[in-house]
Amino acid sequence: MSTQTLDGFPKDLAVGDLAEGSVTLTVDAAVYPLEAIYGAAYIFIDRCFVLLDRPKAGSVAVTLTSKKGPADAEALRRMAGEFANELLTQAWRQKIIEENRVILETVTTQALAGATARAAGAAEPSLDDLASFDFTEEAFDDPLGIAMSWEEKYKKKTPTEAASEATVEGGGAEAKP
Amino acid sequence: MIERRFHRDLYSTASVDGAVKVFEGFARFELVDDGDYRVVRISAKRPERERKVALELGNYALGLTRKGGIS
Repeated sequence: MSTQTLDGFPKDLAVGDLAEGSVTLTVDAAVYPLEAIYGAAYIFIDRCFVLLDRPKAGSVAVTLTSKKGPADAEALRRMAGEFANELLTQAWRQKIIEENRVILETVTTQALAGATARAAGAAEPSLDDLASFDFTEEAFDDPLGIAMSWEEKYKKKTPTEAASEATVEGGGAEAKP
Repeated sequence: MIERRFHRDLYSTASVDGAVKVFEGFARFELVDDGDYRVVRISAKRPERERKVALELGNYALGLTRKGGIS
């Protein structure tokens, strides 16, 4: 067996095996939650063979074996470093999830409660209601002509329309005090 | 023969057994309980095959454990 320590890693944290192309990291379960270890291990499944073990209570040993076969010390060091980084990412993500759990649950509960109340209230018309609805009625009053199209509003007036409009305006002016 | 030891705190029994079932066409397996461990003994015609199956089995068991939540 050709185990050796890896540059940049404490001896009790990471040990490499060049012949096997594997590295074993010992992770403190008090620092990294189990869910974070699972998350990081799962991400490495596509490039490594991952085996978890519990050498003693409170710690988890993660053995990563390269799928490419025997590896040099630099490759093992890189593999261990990337795993350690991923572990940190997963742990941080877990912490954020824990901190935001109450907010997430509250928002989800409110959204579900709102959807349920709307469904139970039957505020929306049924198909029968729509079938019997009188669509001929004017939708709303539009005294200022806001809903009128531009062509309709500013179309060229016929002489009769123009005269009657002038009469109305003239009469209105006279009526003013 | 190769032996793989799966700690019960980390791998659910169902995951290990499920993984063995998936790979049983590739090697011979023997399942044994040993304290906190579910031990899988793998035998195949060639040592390389035993090693390969053992490694793949570990990944598969981890995948099943992760899929089913923490054991």
